[in-house]
Amino acid sequence: MSKKNKQLALVIDLNVCVGCHACVTSCKEWNTSGSAGPLTDLNAYGANPSGTFFNRVQTFEAGTFPNTQTVHFPKSCLHCEEPPCVPVCPTGASYKRKEDGIVLVDYDKCIGCSYCSWACPYGARELDQERQVMTKCTLCVDRIYSETLPEAEKKPACVLACPTSARIFGDVHDPESAASKAIEERSGYALMPEWETQPANHYLPRSIIETINAARNEK
Amino acid sequence: MRPQFSIIFFTTLAGMAQGLLFFIALANLHSQTTPSTFLTNIALPVAFVLLSLGLVASFFHLGHPERAWRAAMMWRTSWLSREVIALPALMAVTIAIYFYACTGEVPQWLWLALLFTTAALWVCTAKIYQCIRFIQEWSHPSTLTNFILLGMASGWILLELLIAIWGDTSIQMIDAPLSIIAFLLLFLAFNLKLWIWRRNRALKPISNLATATGIKGSNIRQTSMGLMGGSFNTREFFHHQTDRVIANLRKIILLCAYVIPMILMAYAITYPNILVIALALLINYLGLLAERWMFFAEANHPQNLYYQRVS
Repeated sequence: MSKKNKQLALVIDLNVCVGCHACVTSCKEWNTSGSAGPLTDLNAYGANPSGTFFNRVQTFEAGTFPNTQTVHFPKSCLHCEEPPCVPVCPTGASYKRKEDGIVLVDYDKCIGCSYCSWACPYGARELDQERQVMTKCTLCVDRIYSETLPEAEKKPACVLACPTSARIFGDVHDPESAASKAIEERSGYALMPEWETQPANHYLPRSIIETINAARNEK
Repeated sequence: MRPQFSIIFFTTLAGMAQGLLFFIALANLHSQTTPSTFLTNIALPVAFVLLSLGLVASFFHLGHPERAWRAAMMWRTSWLSREVIALPALMAVTIAIYFYACTGEVPQWLWLALLFTTAALWVCTAKIYQCIRFIQEWSHPSTLTNFILLGMASGWILLELLIAIWGDTSIQMIDAPLSIIAFLLLFLAFNLKLWIWRRNRALKPISNLATATGIKGSNIRQTSMGLMGGSFNTREFFHHQTDRVIANLRKIILLCAYVIPMILMAYAITYPNILVIALALLINYLGLLAERWMFFAEANHPQNLYYQRVS
């Protein structure tokens, strides 16, 4: 795909994510009620609940006590520029939009074979247990192009919900966008670069760690 | 990966039918050496039933089987789509040969077509797994070789059994060579499996938590996967069995899929006997089911890096 095309994406700032899961619940709320839903929950109040989510916040630790850091790590579909999940789909239900680079699933064509989920190294796709079709983050395509929402709300639900502005939404092919500038100025990186999927979503590394390490070296 | 029983039955049943048809096609390529009645009364119907059972089994893999026809659309990019075309193509060629054999001589181009479609189905089936580059256990030519060799071995034993059941004395004369070839195919497949398991044990994962999260620092570990109940991600990509079950199953696979059938075929070389051959086929097939189960179970998916801790 040429760099001239638009590529919408999220840039996630690991410096400020506090792991509150507001993006998870707002994503679920919007998408289970919208055109991507319902995102089924089975046995929601039982001992073994199970549900479909487009977005998760995970927590990682690094270092050895007392020099440890806790990193909250939101994870959703990365809308790869070379998505390995798309060419393997036998029906064409899984596709990448030319106009804005969003990877989507056509629920009316999906046969529920799960092959695309095997072909995604990030585990970004979840088969909805009740609807038996593959689901994934749509980048809130029904929000960002909405004709009824006010301009300020034409952003993915997770971006609007984030209380620390850890999620930057924009066109990563436009060098002037806030997303591109954040990647450029703050060394935004992609997940699992070894598989050359070229994820559009980027993560901003923790700069505080570098500051602390620099201060330690001065002593 | 979670073993998928629909695919386990499909690949083993179709694989056996492919082995049978492959050798029949090979034998008849120059001139028709197998009698027409053997083809029409027993060999082709058995192959067709096996392929049909495999086709039926594969439907159970789908969340929406009523939309299965759509799966033929993306043959330009998807090996799964190509497989969806190759299987009916093989069945169609089998039917065509059946009708030609009923009325007279089967033309040579049809035997070539049979050879081609059986091979094409093997390639498509294996490539579905082999083309996923980050599942390192699968992403190797041995995936295809293993499917072909096991299909050929079980298909050849089935061919020998069908010949024995058909009971033509002129073919019974060559019982010993048939058993020798069955033994050799099993022996080759056995060595390949040992080699694949050795390779799998030596694999170093290319992805790790550092590449998966990009966190700079040593000793990265997950403290929460972000959910406490299950999800598709915790079900689909792991076999959910203990190490002990896996270790025992490996022994069962070696014994049932390879060693016991080899002993039985060695016995059949000197003492040809329908029951011995039938027993060899049955035990081999049960072993193949376990082998295909393990094929999924031993595949490590990098997405599991993101799903390690509940808290």
